[in-house]
Amino acid sequence: MTLRTMLMAATIVVALASVGVFSVRGRAIWTVLRRTRPVVRWDRIGERLLSVGTQVFGHRRMVRIPLSGILHYFIFSGFVVLLLDIVGTIGQVFRPGFGIGPWLSLAVDVWVALVLVGVLMAVYNRAVLRPARFHGSDERDAYMILVLIAIIVVGIVVHESFYPVVAASFFHVADPSLKSEFLGNGLYHVWQNLGWTTPTAGLVGYTVGYLMDIGVVFAFLAYLPYSKHFHILLAVPNIFFRNLRPIGELVESPPDETMAIRSFDDMRWKDVLDLFTCTECGRCQDVCPAYAAGQPLSPKMVILDLRDRLVSDWGRSEADAPPLAGGAVSREALWACTTCGACQQACPVFIEHVPKIAGLRAALLEDGDVDPAAQKVLVAWERQGNSFGQPARKRPEWAKGLEFPIRDARKEPVDWLWFVGDFAALDPRAREMTPVVGELLHRAGVDFGILYEAEVNSGNDALRIGEYGLFETLAQKNLKVLEKATFQRVFTTDPHSLNALKNEYRKFGFDKPVFHYTEAFLALIQEGRLPVSPVPIRATYHDPCYLGRWNHITEAPRELLRVLGVDLREMPRHGEQSFCCGAGGGRIWMDESGIVERPANQRIREALALPGITHFVVACPKDVSMFHAAATALGVDDRLRVTDVTELLAAAVGLRATPLPAAMAMGASE
Amino acid sequence: MGPIIVVVEMQSDAMSPASAELLSRARQLARAQSTRVVALGFGEAARGALGSSGADDAFLAAGADAYVPTQAEAALRQVLQETAAGLVLLPNTTMGMDLGAATAAAEGRPMVAYATSLAAVEGGAFKATSQVYGGKLVAEVAVPEGSVVTVLPGSWPADEAVSGTTPVRDLVVAGESPMELVRTIEPDTGDVDITRADVLVSVGRGIQDPDNLELADELAEALGAVVSCSRPVVDAGWLPRARQVGKSGQTVKPKLYLALGISGAPEHLQGMKDSEIIVAINSDPTAPIFEVAHYGATCDILELMPILTERLGGAD
Amino acid sequence: MRIAVLVKDVPDLVEELELDESGRGLAVDDLSYVPSEWDDQALEEALLLKEASGAHVSAVALDTGDVDNMLYTALAKGADRAVKLVGDYDRTLPGRQRARILADYLAGAGYDLVMTGVQAVDDLDGQIAGLLGGMLGWPHASVVRDVAVDSGAVRFVQEYAGGRMAEFRSSTPLVLGVQAAKKPPRYVPIARIRQVSRSAALEEVEAGGSPSESLAAIERLYRPEAQGHATMWDGDAEQVAAALVALLDEQHLRS
Repeated sequence: MTLRTMLMAATIVVALASVGVFSVRGRAIWTVLRRTRPVVRWDRIGERLLSVGTQVFGHRRMVRIPLSGILHYFIFSGFVVLLLDIVGTIGQVFRPGFGIGPWLSLAVDVWVALVLVGVLMAVYNRAVLRPARFHGSDERDAYMILVLIAIIVVGIVVHESFYPVVAASFFHVADPSLKSEFLGNGLYHVWQNLGWTTPTAGLVGYTVGYLMDIGVVFAFLAYLPYSKHFHILLAVPNIFFRNLRPIGELVESPPDETMAIRSFDDMRWKDVLDLFTCTECGRCQDVCPAYAAGQPLSPKMVILDLRDRLVSDWGRSEADAPPLAGGAVSREALWACTTCGACQQACPVFIEHVPKIAGLRAALLEDGDVDPAAQKVLVAWERQGNSFGQPARKRPEWAKGLEFPIRDARKEPVDWLWFVGDFAALDPRAREMTPVVGELLHRAGVDFGILYEAEVNSGNDALRIGEYGLFETLAQKNLKVLEKATFQRVFTTDPHSLNALKNEYRKFGFDKPVFHYTEAFLALIQEGRLPVSPVPIRATYHDPCYLGRWNHITEAPRELLRVLGVDLREMPRHGEQSFCCGAGGGRIWMDESGIVERPANQRIREALALPGITHFVVACPKDVSMFHAAATALGVDDRLRVTDVTELLAAAVGLRATPLPAAMAMGASE
Repeated sequence: MGPIIVVVEMQSDAMSPASAELLSRARQLARAQSTRVVALGFGEAARGALGSSGADDAFLAAGADAYVPTQAEAALRQVLQETAAGLVLLPNTTMGMDLGAATAAAEGRPMVAYATSLAAVEGGAFKATSQVYGGKLVAEVAVPEGSVVTVLPGSWPADEAVSGTTPVRDLVVAGESPMELVRTIEPDTGDVDITRADVLVSVGRGIQDPDNLELADELAEALGAVVSCSRPVVDAGWLPRARQVGKSGQTVKPKLYLALGISGAPEHLQGMKDSEIIVAINSDPTAPIFEVAHYGATCDILELMPILTERLGGAD
Repeated sequence: MRIAVLVKDVPDLVEELELDESGRGLAVDDLSYVPSEWDDQALEEALLLKEASGAHVSAVALDTGDVDNMLYTALAKGADRAVKLVGDYDRTLPGRQRARILADYLAGAGYDLVMTGVQAVDDLDGQIAGLLGGMLGWPHASVVRDVAVDSGAVRFVQEYAGGRMAEFRSSTPLVLGVQAAKKPPRYVPIARIRQVSRSAALEEVEAGGSPSESLAAIERLYRPEAQGHATMWDGDAEQVAAALVALLDEQHLRS
């Protein structure tokens, strides 16, 4: 038997075995996928391809962590080049004289070097830098993969280096000298010096190199679906099938019976694909406010625990198996989520964590397993229509002290319909600002009105607690009055209401434009309807999750602050990478046990690290409440003033004095 | 008209204050309607209290040595049948709830619960006012002769001294009781006795979250006070039962009762309205607690507590 | 053990209680109604009994208005059966007559244990549990908690003032006025209630007209006079704290 026959036979055997092992797992996953709920992810092909381009070939999210981004790019691009090598290597065995040409051969060797550098950087990252985001990931698997990759690329050089020998002695190729394979050529010269260029040495060396390369490639292929490295096959489709609808929309269309996830069949197919695509990189864990607060939630572990559970029984759970919600993922982890979406925003392969968590929460809720304080709020929403359990007639009470009447949008047409929201209407601190917003609109000559006691909570948080039915009930109550009213646009100060009205009410046919007050006031100022004088303070701005991340409104508030003459300094985490205050997803009402340091406190510390900052500017009524508490708890409220944008606007138009922190206010009076 | 029957309840070997209050009012009403007062007590321990009750007559159902609802009801019905009562008065306590409505229904008598005042009107009838709808409304009710009325404890003062001795007749209640006493459970006094504190920081539903109890603890420490609470806080498992003020908890009379986030259900007011000074903080300005409080405010208690603690020089 | 839990709805005290023109009753059509909170406790205790000892739980309501949702909620929470007693009555039905209608139904319905809230915000003319006990001639107890099934009999704890309690054992049939369940009443999602309302049916039982009962008549219903009203401190938490500290100083109550 010749060397060629032997290698060809080995290649075919390894390839068949590999495909066999691969397809065992592949079929199992396919079977699960076929039972899942439908979701349309085949639309807008152009945008999808573009997104694959920027995220896969552009590594856009990957490079947010530069070291990891670069090392990954070396290794990732190496895989593309590796495909050339596989063709070339198998080709030269199956068809003597086959080659991929000098340029591609050069590329292969260049990338072998890059991949090796990448692997070394990865080892350095994991072994020396040890970022916390890897905590909980399968380290053994990670090293295993790095070793396999190293073996493959070293194998490439090894078989290249023995090629001139075997090509001449066994393959009978006319001119077997290496041309552009500079690594292989270099090593060949080493063999020459060692005298290892005999046919026997060539046979052994080439076989070893060939198996290190092609043999391990097929072994790797078989190993893929059993490992986090499956992402090299699934990342591209997972990014292709990403959610292109407004991401603030948690539930795309009304669920048949329930949004609860009790088994993998209750997930959408994309959710199952997500589980196998996860690379365990932990970027989600790194940005999770619940994890940072010391709570037992890591978005990464949610995905991995679900995946491990799926793999353990392939969704064919016995009746007495622990449930997904409260079993595979603990109830404490599920209720710790603020639904801030930082995890999804950080994920390089576009895994959607929040819909899974909300679905699992819905399952807990169906079993009556909900925080008692949150339960009271759910009941209050159902009965009174607000989270405060206050009678509906109290909702418009904030408007009583105003010198002008606010129009009743239920009774007369208005240009702007102001959806006030629970907190702005009823929270003792937040509602101090609400009449000021009214005064500002009035001063700008805006024709606006409110729904008075007919407005109820938007349902945004109810939905994120997993209570779809209550969300729908609240939405329908609002829509009933909204449909009767005549108006051109919706205006709100509350990002949570904005998100519901803009994204979640679409499924009921509501399509009026919705504006946040930061956008609206910016426009009014730019149109010259609201003359402002500068408010010379140095401030930082906190992006509310439901404004920045979920609705991409990050520029308007900043532009507004600039227009107001504010010296704006950014915290390290800002814009769509903002850090949650800890209030979202119903967390504001839930038990805080297990929290080591509240996210809002961490955020205030982040702001304090900026030099000379006197104001912490917020643009969400819940943030007013959260960050006031945090600044007070940290004892820094005398030097860092938590300020709603409204207060600055009021100062800029001369309605109110500029709000100052106590320390500065004292200084000013001296 | 027939006699006024007063059902006497014992509390640690003495007549309960609520029973004494009822007897005082019964004697006034009896004079107005020219009739007698007949007291009924249960258990041997009540014999002495009945003898000095100031009633004209007394029955003692001494069969059981402790209160058993079914036996007490049988005794009361027997007295009613023997005396053709013109009015039946019970304290609106557990016993009153056991016996009042059941006796009224079984005997076909009208019934008025939660009375806070009771007066005689001409023609042998009475007029009562009752607290209804969680104390948010008052009902003025015409009470026909023969009615059963349960009265909220503390509705009027008890006479200081009672002279004379009341003859006590033993009542033999026939028949088997379907209900038997298994054991009595003495109050779990826990770590502190809230009835002895001069100042109570008392929290209710408005505390919202068990974590916020820390704020109340710190305030109490700064004030040299003890933390007590209303029923919902105990039912939620946030504080032990020994801390509960109200009908099913302790009756307290501190120098200062600081009610934080307590709306003031009648059952709670019953346990604290005799405090020397009551300060109530509740977000709802129409909460009944403000009816008994001397001072009130509607600010946010979660905001108030740390500020107050700090002003009092306590933990920050 | 066959358990009937009697549930009813009452005016929501969070809202303003409007009176009718006569001044003797509530403007029942203008009010919002919520399940009576003590009935919720009774239902929860019954469901916990079911989970602990396999009792069969029926939720029973008198159709004085919009009670279907309350009954579906009970089913969604885990009740086995929901019974609606229908007849010609509305929300003005006095408690005493309500009790008579319930008693007539319960007398022949074969329940071992009847549980309901110890009281309701509107039971001026007597608590339902006591009234039923008297009408049916069944043993009953009020202010009850910790109910347990004990070989055909029922054990329960009764609460008294000052935190004293006593445990009783009673033969059945028995009526209990429940103060509090062992756990806070469970939440049931609205979608689940809707699902139940589509798949399950309420059992309707014809319960006849309003019976005559001896009643004490309400002559006037009014808001308590504000005579004893607290002196209110205005302002925010800072100002209230200042006022309180001043009061403490004045009364020499600072430690």
